[in-house]
Order: sequence, then structure tokens, then C-alpha cells
Amino acid sequence: MLVLSRRIGESIVVGASAERVTITVLEVRGDVVRIGIDAPRSVRVHRAELLEQLAETNTEAASPSKDAVDSLTQALRDRR
Amino acid sequence: MDGVEAVDLPVIELAHPMPGFPDDERFALVRLDESGVLMGFRSLHRDDLQFVVVPPAPFFPDYAPELDDDVVAELGIASAADALVLLVVHAGDSLASTTVNLRAPIVVNTATRRAAQVILEDAELPLAAPLVA
Repeated sequence: MLVLSRRIGESIVVGASAERVTITVLEVRGDVVRIGIDAPRSVRVHRAELLEQLAETNTEAASPSKDAVDSLTQALRDRR
Repeated sequence: MDGVEAVDLPVIELAHPMPGFPDDERFALVRLDESGVLMGFRSLHRDDLQFVVVPPAPFFPDYAPELDDDVVAELGIASAADALVLLVVHAGDSLASTTVNLRAPIVVNTATRRAAQVILEDAELPLAAPLVA
């Protein structure tokens, strides 16, 4: 991992030209750092923990057993 | 049922992979029950990966996710009518323990068959909401 020290108002740039992402330190208060991210539309920016949670949720949901699908089908049919 | 159209889409291409499944880019949407409410979102890369998905309308009539411009552009959605929103189901042992992901629906552009699992901005939306209250 590349480690850099930055002051408030200073930035780092990732990538080049059209795909360039600029990350700026906006504020530091205690152990909270506010950062600004300037990225092209095609670059999606998310909090890492949300992506991890989503990967976990997806993995749990993936490929339910045939029994589980059948009983869900039945339960929804009974409900109507 | 209102707002539900049974669809079978043979080849859907993801604009970016679903978190946790980086290698699966192409899926098919198939009906799992005769009403067309339960659908399978099946990987075309392997036989054993399928997500069960449902349209929100029968379960969450007020659910109307706002897609930001980036998503609309990424999927090339020209008209709202082309956007098919699907919720990923986590089938539990019973209907009561079955949950759906409201935070990150799969959005399919039915005109171009491009899709993505979209992470909505609204942090109040749960990743696991009971399918039925």
C-alpha cells in the first residue's frame, strides 16, 4: 500500500486524463477525516464497508436450495 | 397483479459485476412460478449460480427508488418504462424469515438488456427487509 501524508486542502490524484480521480482532505476532527472525491461518472465511489456488506448479503442470497425456492413459491401462492 | 409483467430475458449483460461475484457478467431472467412474481436471475457462466428476484410492486407498493443520472447513463435508460427493478431475495426457512435487499436492487434496461445492481443513496433502505410484514 502506498502511504502518503497530506494536509487539509491537499489532494492526491489517482489515474490519468479522463479517468482521473482526485481525493482531497477537507477536514480533520479527532479521528474523523472528511474527504472529497472528484471522479468521472463511470467511476463508482462507495464506502468500503457497504460494498463488503452487499457482497455478504449477495453471497447469502445466492443459489437457494430447490426446497427453499419451492416452499417460497408455495407460501406466496397460499398468500394470494 | 398490478405493475407486474412476467418476463423472460435470455441474455442480460451486467454493466459491472455484483459485489461478491466479480466473474459473472451475463445472466438470464427466468420465471420460477406461474404468476411470474418469483424469478430467477441465473448466471450464464456456471450452472449453479442463481439469485431469486421479485418485482417490488406486490410487496412494497411505495417503493420507488430514484436512480441517479450516473446509473441512467451507465445503463442507457432512455425511458422510465424500460427500467425493470428487481429485488434480490434471501430465501429463509419460512416466508417470515425471507428477506429482500431494498438498498441494492438489480435494475435492468429491458430495451438493451443491460443491467446493474444499483446501490441507492438512501442509507435508510435495508439490505435485508422482511419480504412480507
